[in-house]
Amino acid sequence: MRSGYLWLASLAAFPLVGTPLLAHPSFRRFGVACRFVLAAGVGMVLLSGTMTVWALAGWRWGPILLLVSAAVAFALRGLIPKGSDPAPLATQREIGAEGRSTPAIALLCACVSITAALAATLAARSTSPDLLLFWGPKAQQFAAARTIDAGFLSAPYLEYLHVYYPPLVTNVLAFGAMVAGRFPWGAATLTFPLLLAATGVALFGILRTDGSADRAAAASSLILSALALIGIHAAVAGNAEPFLLFFELPAVALLVTPAARSDAGKLLAGLFLAGAAAAKVEGLPFVGAVVLLFVLLDRAASRPLARTAILLLGPTAVSLGVWFAFGASRKVFYGYRGYGRSMEFHWDHFSGVGSAIGSALWKVGYALPFAVPILLLLAIRPGRGRALLPLGVAAAVSVFLLLTYLQSADDPRLWIAWSAARTFSPVTALVALATFGAREPR
Amino acid sequence: MRTPLLLSLAGSAVLAGFSVAALPFSRGLFRAPRTPYDASEATFTVPAWILLRRAAEVVPPEASVVVRTEPPDATNDSYLHRFAVALLPGRKIIPAAMWSIPTPPEALSGSDYEIVVGSVPPTPSGRLVLSIPEGTVWKRRP
Repeated sequence: MRSGYLWLASLAAFPLVGTPLLAHPSFRRFGVACRFVLAAGVGMVLLSGTMTVWALAGWRWGPILLLVSAAVAFALRGLIPKGSDPAPLATQREIGAEGRSTPAIALLCACVSITAALAATLAARSTSPDLLLFWGPKAQQFAAARTIDAGFLSAPYLEYLHVYYPPLVTNVLAFGAMVAGRFPWGAATLTFPLLLAATGVALFGILRTDGSADRAAAASSLILSALALIGIHAAVAGNAEPFLLFFELPAVALLVTPAARSDAGKLLAGLFLAGAAAAKVEGLPFVGAVVLLFVLLDRAASRPLARTAILLLGPTAVSLGVWFAFGASRKVFYGYRGYGRSMEFHWDHFSGVGSAIGSALWKVGYALPFAVPILLLLAIRPGRGRALLPLGVAAAVSVFLLLTYLQSADDPRLWIAWSAARTFSPVTALVALATFGAREPR
Repeated sequence: MRTPLLLSLAGSAVLAGFSVAALPFSRGLFRAPRTPYDASEATFTVPAWILLRRAAEVVPPEASVVVRTEPPDATNDSYLHRFAVALLPGRKIIPAAMWSIPTPPEALSGSDYEIVVGSVPPTPSGRLVLSIPEGTVWKRRP
């Protein structure tokens, strides 16, 4: 029990690491709570990245990691030119001028959803088998070894550990296990409600800088409610999806608000994109889709192109570059592995894959968390500008997932049955985020 | 309140209601679970979890261990190997089966301990060191 509390307390290290960057005046527009959560995200990315660099160098993890990653956060302030401000002051003054009923109802719905996620986790309703199968064992071993243990990853009989999976989730779990002295399985499942709540706080804080607290609250609440229902049914507690969504959604939110026009906003989005890429394999195509669509859809905000590319893609390139260098230098893995031969797709499985995905989504609250955002989007018909980025990324992620399932030479229906609701959760969250761009009344 | 906002809030309320309805009230929502999988769809892990956690108290570090089911089942034994890697850190876990293919018996005979989930094996392989309803732990060597 004590180790569980210590493990949870260790999570406080992440906002501390990220604070030197988020303390920059450019981020004041997001509000205190949102900045705290964004600092935690930046802290996770930087601390995990530093842990991977340490492992590549062959150094054992220790408290110095915190100082180094906080120093990196401070150094990143140098990339923000003076006067870089994600939201103009005039817009800020309008915030809070609206009625209070919408944010209050949205907050109530969000609190009910988060409380349900917490209750499901505490009642052992939503624990992911993947925690026991590979996330937990890897984190536990890395914490004991004080490094990413290449010997463990290449040991016989342990091929099922998905050794090439990116390192952020295991590093974050291992960091707490080092502090706690052992890996607390129950506490690790609490990352589901905690990251769900953090995602909501970050989304609201970012979206409200666009001028409407009402729309920000409604969209954030819708996203949270959908993700809570999926997470409870699809058993994501202790799995990587809460981490993935925590990084993906604020990154896209930053790019559909005025923050996208500033270097500070792009740098923050770039760091969160790196978090997504380092959390799960599908984070990498997500990052590619986000950056490509952002450059194509918002040409004014993406100028100058080279600087935008560096700010948005640089953190991902460094993060995954170090990880792949570690794998290759230890002869453990060489890049990502597919589930079949690359570019070979089994189109004869297409109808089976389609019906299996439909069946898997139906089992999650009669597919409501997927259907409701789509129906709302059709009813609301948001403005093109804001909706196209999240919808385009949702389409790209859907195609990627479909092709991944079609890559399997074996019948993928069982695999789809236990994974599709989780893997498609970013898609429905992005569709819900697209409702944020609802047209203003004339 | 504008229609788009009203629709969004209504959607959130419906989804939040379904989240509450998905909670395992009938299994005792406010009773502490024995394992992190008690009320999940992966309840088949519960006996193995309980036995392996108890076994961690009697199986010393560095010992070699085989974990299997009784009666034998290669698919379950494949999963038990993975569970043991997670719940018996520091021990050498020898798989009784991998990818649903049983390991040859001679590869298992050199292990220090045998953990059996389920019934007591008809021909015990050593000295009994732990017996609980979920299974038994046997020390194979003196």
